[in-house]
Amino acid sequence: MSAQPVISFKGVSVKYEDRQILKDVNFSMNNGEFVYLIGSTGSGKSSFLKLVYRDILPDEGSVHVAGINVTTLKENRIPELRRSLGIVFQDFQLLPDRNIQENVAFALQVTGKKRKFIKDRVIELLSMVGLSHRRYHMPEDLSGGEQQRVVIARALANEPRLMLADEPTGNLDPEAAASIMELFRQINNRGMAVLMVTHNYDMVHRFPYRTVKIQNQTITEAGHQSDLVSM
Amino acid sequence: MSLGYVIKEGFSGFSRTRLASLTSVTALVIAVLLVGVMGRLGYNAYQVVNALKQSVDIEVFLLDVDEQRTGRIETDLLDFPVVNNVTYISKEDAVAIFREEFGTEAGALAELDFLPASFTLEIRPDAGIDEIREMIGQIREFQGVEDVVFNQQLLETLEDRLEVLVIAGIGIGLFILLTAVILVFNTIRLTIYAKRNIIRTMKLVGATNGFIRRPFLFEGLLQGLLAGAIAIGLHFVLFQWAIPYYLPQFGVLAWPLDEWYYLTGAMALLSLIMGIWGSRWAAKKFISQTSIG
Repeated sequence: MSAQPVISFKGVSVKYEDRQILKDVNFSMNNGEFVYLIGSTGSGKSSFLKLVYRDILPDEGSVHVAGINVTTLKENRIPELRRSLGIVFQDFQLLPDRNIQENVAFALQVTGKKRKFIKDRVIELLSMVGLSHRRYHMPEDLSGGEQQRVVIARALANEPRLMLADEPTGNLDPEAAASIMELFRQINNRGMAVLMVTHNYDMVHRFPYRTVKIQNQTITEAGHQSDLVSM
Repeated sequence: MSLGYVIKEGFSGFSRTRLASLTSVTALVIAVLLVGVMGRLGYNAYQVVNALKQSVDIEVFLLDVDEQRTGRIETDLLDFPVVNNVTYISKEDAVAIFREEFGTEAGALAELDFLPASFTLEIRPDAGIDEIREMIGQIREFQGVEDVVFNQQLLETLEDRLEVLVIAGIGIGLFILLTAVILVFNTIRLTIYAKRNIIRTMKLVGATNGFIRRPFLFEGLLQGLLAGAIAIGLHFVLFQWAIPYYLPQFGVLAWPLDEWYYLTGAMALLSLIMGIWGSRWAAKKFISQTSIG
């Protein structure tokens, strides 16, 4: 595992409508690392992720992601950044009028990949998440856990260096949540960095990794599961 | 990005949001049809006024001058840019016309040899009243010219009417276009808003704004094409059939520049431009504002 940072925050502050969300945050995450980001509702976890995928800019400080200075990144180069990320949200964000195969292929179409490549890659990705047999089904025909697997397959399509997951198990039953966590663990084992925002402390205990917490507008190391008892 | 993708997405976008697309097309049809109607009526009104203007003759009465001087005056008159044609009426011709108009009542008056030779000037239809006035002032100074006579009041009235017609036409045309563009912009914005989840997902997976926008532009182009075709069809029905049938005194009004394809081509082009421009405007604004988180 390389020790180069895939995410680096230096002195980052963010305000939203006069409310200080983050203040002088310093954070670093290495290539291939798995990190949980925890904190109470409204603590700034989503803002933290938005800074990473450049949906917002910091008021102060700098953000580097996958070797790109996000803070100075021009608007027309944002897609380039996002192609180096795999993003998974709690609400699956699948296109309801396309089948599973088309949903995954979509991420490759937008990057201009050839049809043959897309076809092969989609089958490979759906096999990886255990859904190749359901590739012609529509999203509505799938369970929540299966839909989240499709989203993960789509997020992996462009072989990102970093997976960002915002409450990926938030809408799932414990069994489905565990299978999704297992999938993330496998992805991480292949060398991909994973930054996961979660409230699911049970999963944090079952799949222990480095955990950081946002509290009082700043970020602190929370260690491993044993440190989370009071959270 | 393949053209196939843009076309496929454009068509499916068109059918996915049928109601919004229908609203856009309807707005475009109304706007383009009204502009076409205005264009055709305006052209015909302009032609009528110009024809009336052409019928306003300017008569230049001459003193008793020799043939050489008369020829010189004729050349000078033809040199005026506003003059289309010049007709010489000799003293003998004037007597003949006088006799023809007044018949036996002319009697001995015609023998008095009081009728001067003259030139009748036919002016260009697009000549302005100021140009004509200036020309008349200059002609009056010509050696050998006794007087210049023309119906100044009629000419001024026609000029005023034409000016009002042009200003009103342009004003109404612009108003219709502006209203239509805003309407198209808003309906397309609604169409795009209905697709915000697709846009969000596209941004999420790293699609460029151009990639996201292109199918919407193609959709705008489709709407423009469809609306243009409908508007042109309605225009034909209105002017080639409905007006001649219900208002036979007007008959089939002339096509601008006497060919059907100038106006219909302009209507098709306008419809396309408005469709694409409305889409582009709405898509650009909305796509850049859409947050993925």
